[in-house]
Amino acid sequence: MIARGVRKEISSRDARLTILDGVDLDVAPGESVAIVGASGSGKTTLLSLLAGLDSPSGGAIRLDGRELTRLDEDARSAWRAGRVGFVFQSFQLLAGLTALENVMLPAELAGLSDAAARARRALDQVGLTPRLAHYPYQLSGGEQQRVAIARAFAGEPRILFADEPTGNLDTATGAHIIDLLFDLNRERGTTLVLVTHDADLARRCDRVLTLRDGRLHE
Amino acid sequence: MSSAVAFGLRRLRRGWRSGELPILALAIAVAVAAVGGVGLFGSRVERAIEAQSGEALGADMQLGSRSPLPPELAAQARALGAAVLETATLPSVIQAGERSTLAAVKAVPDGYPLRGRLRIADEPFAPPRDTAEVPAAGTAWADLRLWTELGLAPGAQIRLGAATLRIAALIEYEPDRGSGFVDIAPRLLMNARDLAATQLIQPGSRAQFSLLVAGPAAALDEIAQMELPSNIRRLRPADARAEVRAAMDRARRFLDLAVLAAALLAAAAVALCARSYGRRLRDEVALLKCLGARQNFVAGALASSLGALALLAGLAGAAGGYLAQELIATLLAGLMPAALPPPSPWPLVSAFGLGLLILLGFGLPAVLQARHAPPMRVFQRELEATAGARLVALGAVAGAAALLWLRTRDPMLAAYVLAGALGTLLLLAGAAWLLVRLLAPLRRRVGVSWRFGLANITRRQGSSIAQVVALGLALLALLLLAIGRDELLEAWRNRLKPDTPNQFIIDIQPGQLDALRQFFAAQGLGEPQLWPMARGRLVALNGAPVAAESFDDPETRRWINREFNLSWTDALGADNELKQGEWWGREGRGQPWLSAEDYAVERLKLKLGDRMTLQIADREIELTVRSFREVHWDSFRPNFFLLTPPGTLDDAPATWLTSFYLPKDRRELLRALLREFPNLTVVDLDAVMNQVRSIVDRVARAVEFIFLFALAAGLLVLLAAVEGTREERVREIGLLRALGARRRVVVLGLIAEYGVLGLLAGTVAAAAAQGLTYALAQWVFEIPYGFSAALWLAGAPIGGVLAALMGWLALRGTLRTPPRQVLAANGTSC
Repeated sequence: MIARGVRKEISSRDARLTILDGVDLDVAPGESVAIVGASGSGKTTLLSLLAGLDSPSGGAIRLDGRELTRLDEDARSAWRAGRVGFVFQSFQLLAGLTALENVMLPAELAGLSDAAARARRALDQVGLTPRLAHYPYQLSGGEQQRVAIARAFAGEPRILFADEPTGNLDTATGAHIIDLLFDLNRERGTTLVLVTHDADLARRCDRVLTLRDGRLHE
Repeated sequence: MSSAVAFGLRRLRRGWRSGELPILALAIAVAVAAVGGVGLFGSRVERAIEAQSGEALGADMQLGSRSPLPPELAAQARALGAAVLETATLPSVIQAGERSTLAAVKAVPDGYPLRGRLRIADEPFAPPRDTAEVPAAGTAWADLRLWTELGLAPGAQIRLGAATLRIAALIEYEPDRGSGFVDIAPRLLMNARDLAATQLIQPGSRAQFSLLVAGPAAALDEIAQMELPSNIRRLRPADARAEVRAAMDRARRFLDLAVLAAALLAAAAVALCARSYGRRLRDEVALLKCLGARQNFVAGALASSLGALALLAGLAGAAGGYLAQELIATLLAGLMPAALPPPSPWPLVSAFGLGLLILLGFGLPAVLQARHAPPMRVFQRELEATAGARLVALGAVAGAAALLWLRTRDPMLAAYVLAGALGTLLLLAGAAWLLVRLLAPLRRRVGVSWRFGLANITRRQGSSIAQVVALGLALLALLLLAIGRDELLEAWRNRLKPDTPNQFIIDIQPGQLDALRQFFAAQGLGEPQLWPMARGRLVALNGAPVAAESFDDPETRRWINREFNLSWTDALGADNELKQGEWWGREGRGQPWLSAEDYAVERLKLKLGDRMTLQIADREIELTVRSFREVHWDSFRPNFFLLTPPGTLDDAPATWLTSFYLPKDRRELLRALLREFPNLTVVDLDAVMNQVRSIVDRVARAVEFIFLFALAAGLLVLLAAVEGTREERVREIGLLRALGARRRVVVLGLIAEYGVLGLLAGTVAAAAAQGLTYALAQWVFEIPYGFSAALWLAGAPIGGVLAALMGWLALRGTLRTPPRQVLAANGTSC
C-alpha cells in the first residue's frame, strides 16, 4: 500500500476545511500498522481513502498494485470485492441475514463458488459453528464482532482495515476479539491497517503512526 | 406567535425533505380530494333536484295510468281552478330512411309543460333557446341521442306507426324527464293531435297516460284527497324527487365505498409515515429536552408543524376534489339533471375536516409519542419511552370508526364495514404471512442480490405483510374493475344462446293473430309462439280482501299496486321449472286454477291450495293455486308470474305477444312488419341491452375514476412503508458497497425485493378478486363463472412491475449511498 501526498478537503459555502494535508504512507505486504490520533484528527477519513471507500482531493493511493484514485466508485467496489476486508466498531452486520449468510457475503460478491464452505470454516475458526443460523439480534456484542471478523477473513483478503474494533465492547471481550484478530492476521499473512484510540492495542502492531495536523508522524 | 409554534413551523420547513412528511401530506390530500370530489358532486345533484321541484313533473301534480284517464277527472280539476293537460308516452320504433331505433315517444298538447320550460335548438350544437311552444302538428322534436342514432337532419321525415312526421327541432332540455328506462331511451316529442294518425294507441298497448295539473294549493289539496280509481297513480313533485334521489343514493353508495377504501388506505399511509417520523424525532426531542425544552413545548411544536402540514395538504386536496367532481359530472353526463347548479363549498369544508380527523386519529398520536423520549437518550440511543404505545393503536381504531361513521352516518353499517374491512384485512394479511414464510427457504438457492432482497422481505415480516396487504387492496380494486367486470358481463352474454330472441312484439290484437302468423311464414321465420296476456289486480286472498297496505314489505306493496300480467297455457316451456304441485296439462282446460312463479310465492307467502281473487276488467274471478314454478327469465322469451289453464279467462280482454330472433342483417323486416301492423310495438332487446350497457359503463367509469384515488392511496401506503426503512437501507447499502458490491448488485437486490413483494401482493389480490367475482357470479348474478386465468396472469405481473417501479423510484437516492457512509455510522467520522 503506497499513499503519496494524499489530501482531503471539505468545502462549504463560506469555508474550506483541510482534514488531510499531504499524507505519505508505505505499508509492506503482511505488515500491521496502527493509526492513532486525537478525535477529529482525520483517522477515519484516512482509512476510508486507503480502502477506496472515498476519493481524495489530491494525491495518489496505490493498493495491491492498483492505482485506486483513477477508478470510479463502482470500479473501486468491484476491485475491493475479495481483496479487502473490514472490521467496524459497530459490527455492521446485515440484520436480515444469518451469521452464515453475513460471512458468505464478501466471497459471494467476489464471485467465489465455495462461499458457503469458506464461511463455515471462518465461523468455525472464531468458535461460532453452533450459531450459523442465528440472526444478529440473537447474538451478543462480542459474538457479533466475531461474526464480523469471520466475515473479514472469509474472503481471504490481502488487506484488512479495522476501525476501532473494540470500541463497542467491554474490556475482557475486547481483549479476546483482538487476540482473535491478530492470530488470524498472522496465520493468513494479511496486511492490517488499524485505527484506534487505544495505545495498548496500537502497540501490538508492527508500526504505530500518529495523525496530527493532517499529516502522519512515525 | 408562541416560540413552540415558531419552532414547529421552522421544523416543518426543514423536515420537508425527510421523506415521511411529503407522503403524509399527499395521503391527506388524496383522502380530501376523494371525499371532497364525491361530496361536491352529490351536493350538486341534490341541489339540482331541490331546485327543480315542480319542474321534475312539468306540473304541480301528475295523475298517471296505463289507460286513458276518464275525461271527468280533467273537468273536475278545471272546476277547482287548476290548469290541466293530458300527455301520452309510449315506447315505439321510429324509422328514418334505412335506419330505425326504439324510442320513448311523448305526445303533448299545446301549453305543455305546465311548470318549467322546454329548451330546443335548430340542430345539434346550435344555440339553444327556451320555448313556450310544442311541436306543431305534423312535426316532431328529437333529442340528441335519437338525432344521432337515426342520422337526422332538420326537416328529415320519420315514420312512427302509421304516421309520417317532419323533424323540426332538437330537444335540449325537457323538465319532466325522469330516470326510468323510458326516460333514458331516445326521446321523440310530438303533438298530441297527431297521435291518432299513428294508430299506436290500441287496447292493451304499452302507453302511459298522464294528466298534468297545476294550480292553487287548495285545488291541489282537493285533488289529492279525491277518491280515484285504483289504476290511477298520483304523483307529487316530492315523489318524483324521491325516485331520482333513490337512484342517486344507490350511485352514491357505490362511490362512497370507493371513497371509503381510498380514505382508509390514506389513513394507513398517514399512520405508517407518522410512526416512522415519530421514531426519527425521538433523538431530536431528547436533545431539545437536554437543552431545557419542556414536554409542552415539544408537544406544541410537533402539533403546530403537523397542523400546518395538514392545512396545506387539505387545501391541495380540496383543489383536487373540485377538479375531480367536474370530471365525475362529465363522466356521468346525460344520466344527471341537465344543468347542475354550481357546487356549494360545504362538502369541501367537511372533506377538509375529514383530512384533519385522519391526521388527528392516525398521525398525531404516533408523532406526539416522540415527546416522551427521555433526555438520557442522547447518551444511550436504545432508551425508549414506554408510555403511549396504546394511545397510538387506540387513536387509529377511534379514527377509523369516526371516519366510517361520518361517511355512512349509520352506526350499524359503520360497524359492519369496519368488521368486514378488518376481516378482509386479516384474510389478506394471513395469505401474505403464508407467502412470506414460503419465501424463506428460497433464499438459500439464489444469488447474492436475490438473497439480499428476499432476506429483507422475511426480516421485515410485519412491514412486508403491511405492504403486501396495502398494495394488494389497491390491486384488488384495479383487477375487479379492469378484468372482473368485463368477465362477468362476458359470462352473462355467453350464457345466451346465439338464437336467443332479440325482438319482442307486444300489443298484438286478437284479430291480428292469423295475419301475423302468415307474415312470419312468408318471411321464413317459422311459426311464432304467441302468448295471450290479460291484466288483473289482486283483490282478495283466501276470501279476505287485500290492498297494498295489507303487506309490510315495500316491494310487495309496489307489486300489489300494479296490475299483474296473466297468461294461459297447457304446456310449460323449457324455461319454466315446476317446483311444487302438479301441472294441469290438457285436462286443466277451463278449470279455475293458477300456477305461481317463485317471486309471487315469496311476495304473497303463497301455499298450494291458496285462493286468489283477481279482478280482470270488470269481473272478479277466484283461482286456486295448483303449482309453483321457477322461471329462467334470461331465456328472453315471454314469461309470466301467474298462469291459468286455457279456457279459464277466454272472455277477458287480452293482447298477445311473441319473441323471436332476428339476425342483424334482416332488420329491414321490422319496417315491413310495422307497415303492415302499425299498432304493434317492437321492443328491440339489442337496443335495450346496449342502452343498459352504456349506462353501466358510464357509472363504472365514474367509480373506476374514484378507485384511482384508492389506488393512489394504496401506493402511498407502499411508499410510506418504504420510507420507514430508508435509514436502515442507507446503512446496509453503504456496507454492501464497502464489501465490494457493485451498483448493479444493489439495484438488483432492491428490484428483487420489491418485485417479489409486488408479486405476492398481486397474487393475494388475484385470489381475492377471484373469490369476489366468483361470489358475485354465484349469488348475485347466478351465472356460471369459474377460474379466471386473466386475473391471475395479470395480477402478479402488474403487482411485481408496479412495486419494483415504486421501490426503485422511492429508494433510488439510497442506491447512491457512498461506501464511506459505513464508517460515518461508527460514530468516529472525520
